[in-house]
Amino acid sequence: MQQRGGGVQYSKIAEIKGPLVIVDDVENAAFDELVEVETRDGERRLGKVLEVGNGKAIVQVFEGTTGLSVSGTNAKFVGKVMEMPVSREVLGRVFDGLGRPKDGLPDPIADRFIDINGEPMNPEQREYPKDFIQTGVSVIDGMITLVRGQKLPIFSGSGMSHNLLAAQIARQAAVIGTEDEFAVVFAAIGVQYSEAEYFKRSLEESGALKRSVLFLNLADDPAIERIITPRVALTVAEYLAFDLGMHVLVILTDMTNYAEALREISAAREEVPGRKGYPGYLYTDLSTIYERAGKLTGKKGSVTQVPILSMPSDDITHPIPDLTGYITEGQIVLGRDLFRQGIYPPVNILMSLSRLMKDGIGEGSTRADHGEISNQNYDAYSRAQEVRALAGIVGKAGLTEIDLKYMGVGDTFEKEFLSQSVDENRNIDETLAVLWRVVSQLPRNELTKVKDKYMDQYYQGTTR
Amino acid sequence: MSSSAPQLEQTIDKVLDRTAEQIISSVASAADEARKSLDDAVPLLEQEYDKIISDGRKEADKISRQIVGSADLDVRNRQLLALEDAVDRVFEQALERVAAADRNGEDYAALIRALLAESTATLGSKDVVVSTSAQDMDAVRAVVEPEGSDYPAAEVSPEPLACLGGIRIRSRDGAMTFDNTLDARIERLKPLIRKGIASKFGAGN
Repeated sequence: MQQRGGGVQYSKIAEIKGPLVIVDDVENAAFDELVEVETRDGERRLGKVLEVGNGKAIVQVFEGTTGLSVSGTNAKFVGKVMEMPVSREVLGRVFDGLGRPKDGLPDPIADRFIDINGEPMNPEQREYPKDFIQTGVSVIDGMITLVRGQKLPIFSGSGMSHNLLAAQIARQAAVIGTEDEFAVVFAAIGVQYSEAEYFKRSLEESGALKRSVLFLNLADDPAIERIITPRVALTVAEYLAFDLGMHVLVILTDMTNYAEALREISAAREEVPGRKGYPGYLYTDLSTIYERAGKLTGKKGSVTQVPILSMPSDDITHPIPDLTGYITEGQIVLGRDLFRQGIYPPVNILMSLSRLMKDGIGEGSTRADHGEISNQNYDAYSRAQEVRALAGIVGKAGLTEIDLKYMGVGDTFEKEFLSQSVDENRNIDETLAVLWRVVSQLPRNELTKVKDKYMDQYYQGTTR
Repeated sequence: MSSSAPQLEQTIDKVLDRTAEQIISSVASAADEARKSLDDAVPLLEQEYDKIISDGRKEADKISRQIVGSADLDVRNRQLLALEDAVDRVFEQALERVAAADRNGEDYAALIRALLAESTATLGSKDVVVSTSAQDMDAVRAVVEPEGSDYPAAEVSPEPLACLGGIRIRSRDGAMTFDNTLDARIERLKPLIRKGIASKFGAGN
């Protein structure tokens, strides 16, 4: 990996601007090359080359430029891009946002050193995702089913319970009907210390830490480090999936913090800002992360991504959720109203969708009636919402008998199906049983989306 | 008066009989209701019983996974620390041997020549200041300073470096430095060396 010129240290620093250091008289530096910036006190910080030319190199310092001065600072161009040492030993370990051990244990003995930018997946080799992942969370498994190799983001809002949900998914997720190994790679990007501790403790106490790898970039860690965190996490995930044949679920929370870091660098580089000050290449940059999910022909493992992003002011048209939605295969939207009612997880199913669900459910993977009963619940809950709106105008007294039944369905749906304890792990049969129980409050003739044979088998209500 | 007494008795008997019938019927119906309630309660009870058992099993399974998981992890972590300790010891011994290596032989002179050639090529200039350790000073001077050497523009810094051996060169204006000391080389290759040592202990993939 050593290039010509690799390892040379330069001491002519022209300028320090935000998270950027501009080094003068640089020869042979390469784009994206790793740089070790040494302070006057001998402290070393990592960075990477953003631009080279005219004898100058612009270096982005991951750990921030606080305390650096133009004189006395040296920049050593390492001669290779940033790599993550990987081996099976990374399972059960906790790393910081740059992939350095944070659990008091030594660096893992590396099997390979992998470029954190990953290799693009050959589209020809991509396999269509179609195998079910059970998260143990009814609303996801039953109505927004996650499949192996999918990228399904959670759109949340400030202060909502997305981190609880993320930790629950990390603890409970499993592939069923196969002996293949399953692993969770959890990347916390700019989270508070208490949240990071919660994630760690939650995985430890549930015994899930031994199959997990944690990358923790805390809120008070340098923002620029956040650019690297999802990339090191995905590098490890790809190794576990495609070298060791595991099914890997990658949870990235919170991608909004990632985009903020990107905006910070873009502003420091004086780039022309796009929407809300984010760089014009936000879409392209996000896609270099999200597109690292998938399955490859001839490889046993898979990488599934659940990125979580908090929408500023709950605005789904904000550039981050907007552009994320273009790349990913559906979305799980958390609703502020449900959250205020104390419902957990507060998933607004009418705004949520898993585009690959239809291929991951049904006979042979979950149960033959899954698709139909899910659609029936969507339909009934949607009608319940309309009835609630109507009741807000004409009052309950003005509703018909069937309207009242739909209203009841809406309440039961939220109380029994949607609501779930944070440590309650429901298997798919339990989830489907609740879905049937919810719509069984309606007369049989109202259930138009389910075949008669399933009605005969599972319907628990009366004809009228 | 005497005929009215039996009539009254009859009426009272009738009322008593009717009341008794009503009470018996009520008791029977209450008993039926109670039996029905009891019968209805049985499946609920069984359901509740099954739920408690199932929840208990889930909880037991969770606790078992938790205990086994943390124990596995604890064992693995102790193993990692023990391995690291062993690797460190091997490393230290190797460094001691490097430090004590014979500096006078032709092999070491060849090493210095190779390091110098690599360093100047990397920096792209032979007009450099070469620094080295006190131990290697003579070996480096022997390569750089003689007449007809490959590095006529190079100069050896009289100030010794605190390192195991090897050289560090810097451009005349001090703007560029290339560290090719043995310490720096070991540091660069440390992950690979650790992997090599660990594999001798049967660890690593």
